[in-house]
Amino acid sequence: MTGMERLSAAINGTMADRIPVFCNLLDQGAKELGISLEEYYKSGELVAEAQLKMRENYGYDCLWSLFYVGKEAELLGCSKMIYAKDGPPNVGEMIIRTYDDIARLQVPDDISSHPAFAEELRCLRILKAEAGGKYPICAYLTASMTLPSILMGIEKWMQLLMMGPHDLRDELLTKCSDFFQKQIAAYRAAGADVLVYSNPFGSTEIIPRTFFEELSLPWMARDLEPGGTGGIVYYCGSSRFNNVIEEVITRLGIGVFYLSPMDDIAEGKRLVAGRGLTCGVINDIMLLEWSKEEIRAEVKRMIEAGKPGGKFLFGTLVMPYNIPEENIRTMLEAAYEYGQFESP
Amino acid sequence: MLEQVMNQYNEAVMDTDRDRALQVVRDALGLEISPEEVVFKIVVPAIELMMKSISEEQGVSLAQHFMAAQIASEVVDDMIPRFRKAPEIVGRVVIGTSRGDFHGLGKRIVSGCLKAMMVDVVDLGLNVAPERFVDEALAQDAQVIAISSMMVHTARGENGCIRVRQLLKERGVEDRIRIAVGGAPYRFDPELFRTVGADAWAENGITAGRVITDLIREVHQ
Repeated sequence: MTGMERLSAAINGTMADRIPVFCNLLDQGAKELGISLEEYYKSGELVAEAQLKMRENYGYDCLWSLFYVGKEAELLGCSKMIYAKDGPPNVGEMIIRTYDDIARLQVPDDISSHPAFAEELRCLRILKAEAGGKYPICAYLTASMTLPSILMGIEKWMQLLMMGPHDLRDELLTKCSDFFQKQIAAYRAAGADVLVYSNPFGSTEIIPRTFFEELSLPWMARDLEPGGTGGIVYYCGSSRFNNVIEEVITRLGIGVFYLSPMDDIAEGKRLVAGRGLTCGVINDIMLLEWSKEEIRAEVKRMIEAGKPGGKFLFGTLVMPYNIPEENIRTMLEAAYEYGQFESP
Repeated sequence: MLEQVMNQYNEAVMDTDRDRALQVVRDALGLEISPEEVVFKIVVPAIELMMKSISEEQGVSLAQHFMAAQIASEVVDDMIPRFRKAPEIVGRVVIGTSRGDFHGLGKRIVSGCLKAMMVDVVDLGLNVAPERFVDEALAQDAQVIAISSMMVHTARGENGCIRVRQLLKERGVEDRIRIAVGGAPYRFDPELFRTVGADAWAENGITAGRVITDLIREVHQ
């Protein structure tokens, strides 16, 4: 079976050979090609080549068009990224330094023709040509509530969000939501299948429930309104969100939930209650430390909690660059083994 | 009366209502509650209460941590000049994010709490080189170096805590200076602080206040 068939079966609750397994290898592509991260991320061709090679090599079920999270800041005018040799690049300049910069922030009219999107678009086209329809192509989009964190720094954003002035907060959120709508349309037009909607501010670990209800939900609804929730995956970074699943289903209509490694998988599935796909996510930071036996035991525990009744996917979180290849393989082989469905 | 004011302040802080919290403090001064009592019997207990709520998993959000620290810091800044005599400082900490790390929220929360707990905070900002942490700690006679890292490679990398520990050893000052770390990678691997050579870690910015004051006391003993 292909990854797309496994994913469709998991979403629809039909039979497959095993659960889908998503593995978020991003920076590892540079290692795969034997080049620096800085060189790697300059080229959409290189990213596509590494994505295809790594998927083939490890056998998991997804491909990523994401380069690094700071790309969105580049689309909005950031021109400096700071590269590390063993981790994702950081945004090197905040494009909103003072509140006056909010008025100056320009949302590009057309993302697809924006120079900062060109390489990602090239990557997407190659992935689509080589594996389209066989393996789901994932794109990563930051929600309007979270995007200001990479434009002004999370510290200043938290201050504006919580302390106002509220008219400025709303002006910035409107621009970020407009940007999101254009960005998701560009990804859809380029053929991305899975749209990971990243919003730590959609978790009550980050903001109080009253803020979630009064701010997060309406802004998420605005982000998603034009194109609908097809292909959307609810994801709050590493923050837990089991306690808002009901609202996310009933108020936003989202049907795929990429839990926090700290969320209780069985509880998440119970809350989703067959109305969508639950994704159990491994604490992959521990793959730097765990033994083979520990990795297998954790994968087994997670899959036993999520697999019964189907509609379950096994996934990873940030996959740090220095995880030994052997540990990645051990995790994936355990997921393929414990994730198998018995033939009827 | 003090208890009533304390409850009103706590409620405002938990509601992330800065204006209401500051009004409670202003009203308290009008009720002849002293600036010292405002800090030590209202603000500090509110932080301690939040620590308790966090440890009991009562669902306190990061935004509530941020606002509690922010309000505490503002109130303390306002109250200290009104104290009858300058307060006794518990100790001094130099704080910053590790080399290559540009996430300053945790550091700000920690700094606000420490200020209320009468710890002198020297904020070195973001993307701090290990040499600078040590040089400043020595120059400022700090008891603790606090390093915040939100990314795995900045927490574990050779230019973070590992190098700070090495420098403390090389300069023979390990008995004078302790290292505290915090940030997401430490939450996902609670033993990581040992791997990188820190003396302690804090799960969040609020409890970091207690962790760091404990380390200061350790140095003073």
